[in-house]
Amino acid sequence: MAPEPISPEDARRRKIVGVNAETVTNVTSTDFPGHHPGEDHTWSLEKFTQNFSVQYHKNHPHDAVFSLIGLDASIANAFRRILIAEIPTLAIEQVFVHNNTSIVHDEVLAARLGLVPLTGKLEGLNWLKFRKKIINDDTGDAREDEKRDDGATDTNTVVLKLQIECKWAEGIREGETDPEKLYVNSNVYARHMVFEPQGNQHKQFPEPDGIVRPVNPDILLAKLRPGQVVDLEMFAIKGIGADHAKFSPVATATYRLLPTIDIMSPILGNDAGIFARCFTKGVIGLEDITEEESGMVGGSWREGRGRRRRL
Amino acid sequence: MPTAIADEDYPMHNAPEAEANTGISGEDGFIDLNDQRIRVLPGASETAASFEFESEDHTLGNALRYMIMKNPEVELCGYSIPHPSEAKMNIRIQTYEGTTVYDALEKGFDDLMGLCDVVTEKFTATRDEFNSKQKA
Amino acid sequence: MSREAYAPPTLQPQGSNYSTTGTDLQAGPTTQYLCGHCNSKVQLKKGDAIRCKECGHRVLYKERTKRMVQFEAR
Repeated sequence: MAPEPISPEDARRRKIVGVNAETVTNVTSTDFPGHHPGEDHTWSLEKFTQNFSVQYHKNHPHDAVFSLIGLDASIANAFRRILIAEIPTLAIEQVFVHNNTSIVHDEVLAARLGLVPLTGKLEGLNWLKFRKKIINDDTGDAREDEKRDDGATDTNTVVLKLQIECKWAEGIREGETDPEKLYVNSNVYARHMVFEPQGNQHKQFPEPDGIVRPVNPDILLAKLRPGQVVDLEMFAIKGIGADHAKFSPVATATYRLLPTIDIMSPILGNDAGIFARCFTKGVIGLEDITEEESGMVGGSWREGRGRRRRL
Repeated sequence: MPTAIADEDYPMHNAPEAEANTGISGEDGFIDLNDQRIRVLPGASETAASFEFESEDHTLGNALRYMIMKNPEVELCGYSIPHPSEAKMNIRIQTYEGTTVYDALEKGFDDLMGLCDVVTEKFTATRDEFNSKQKA
Repeated sequence: MSREAYAPPTLQPQGSNYSTTGTDLQAGPTTQYLCGHCNSKVQLKKGDAIRCKECGHRVLYKERTKRMVQFEAR
C-alpha cells in the first residue's frame, strides 16, 4: 500500500482534542505504527529532534512557563509528575523541642517546620546523601528494619536551630497597642532558623549565599508574647515528594494543551474590538485595513489562532 | 478449579522468584539502585509477557507504554496499576514474530532515554538563551 | 492495701522528692510558678495564697519541663 500523504485538515484534526458540552472527543494519541493504514509512526530520534522545540515565556525564580512543542502528552505528563514527586529536596524531618511555651503546640509547630521549603548551594544539596528510613521507636527494641538506618551524619543530615524569646520592647510610647512595637520577637519567622554546619558542611554550604536557609524568610511560624520561648533543634534530610509533599520542590506543576480559536470569517470594524475583548489581552490581534481591503474576501484580517493565554 | 492450567501459565524460567524481592524496595520509601525491581509475571512467552515494576507509577508507566507502542514490531502494549495501595506497576507487551518482549522493553527504555536527552538539551539551550535575552 | 493502712501525706518535710526549686527546712518545699499576667516568677509553699507577689494576679502557671521532646515533622 502506497503511503498517502495526510491532508493538512486531517493532520490538524488529529492534534485537536474536542471538549464539548457533555463529551470529549479525540483524547487518545493515534501516532502509533499500524494505527493509520499506510502511515509510518515508528519512533525516530532524528525526526523527533527535528520536530521538537521549546519556547520559553516566563522564567522567574518562583514561576516559569514554557512550551514543549512536538511532545506527546504522556511524556509531558511524566515530566510534570517527576517535578512534583521525584525531584529530591531538603526538608525538616525531626524536631527536638527543648522548650516551647508559645501557644502553638509542639506537634503542630513541628508539622509547620517540616513544610518550610529549604534551599542551599546546589552542589551541596547534590553532595548530600539520602538518609535511610529514620526509625522512631520509643520501645528501643532492635527492629529488623533498623539495620537500614544509617544514623545521622554530616553527609545525610542538616542541623538547624530555632532559638527565640519574646520580650517587652524598651521605650514604648504611652498607650501603644501595636504588638510589633510593644514586644521584641513577637513573631517567629522562618528567617530565625539558623543553619548549624556539621563536619564538612561548611565547605559544601559556604557562607553567606550557600548556607541552608528557608526559600522564603518571611514564613510566619508562631506568635509569641513576653516571656514565651521557642528553643528547638531540627534535622533536615533529603527526600522526594512521593514520600511527603514537604519534599516536593514545586508549589505545583501543571501542563495543558493550548486552546485554538478558529475565526471563520473576517471580523471588521467595531465588532473586531468587541471580539478581542472577549478574550484575555494579547490573545486576539487587530490590524488596520483600508476600505477596499475590507471588501475583499480573505482580505487582510488577522487570524488569532491559539495564542497562549498566560497565567 | 483445574489442577493444571493451559500451557501459557507456567512461570518463566529466568523470572526471579517472587519471594526473592518482596520488601526490598518501596516498603519504606527508599529505593536502592541495586534492587531488582523488574519481574516477569508468570505465563510469559518470548513474544508476550507482563512485567511487574516495583515502586513505579504512571510517571514511568504511561511514558514507557507510549515509547514501546512507537515500536512497529510491538503488537500491543499497555500498563496498569493493579492496586493503588501497592507500589507496583505492570506493563504488558505483545510483539509480532521475529522479536522478543525483552528487546521491545529494552528498546522502549533506550528510546525514552534518547528522547529525554533531546528534551534536556533543547530545554537547557532555550532557557539559557531566554535568560540572557531577559538580562539584556 | 486496706483502706486503714493508707496514710495521707503529712506536712512534714520529706526533702525535695517532688518538683521543687528550694527547700526551707521549716516551711517545706517551695515550687516555682509563673504569673499568668506579668510573667514574674512566683515561689509558693504549701498553704500559700495562690497569688502573684508582684501584681496580685490569681492565675499562676507551672513552668514547662526542660526535658527534650522529639517530634516527626510529618
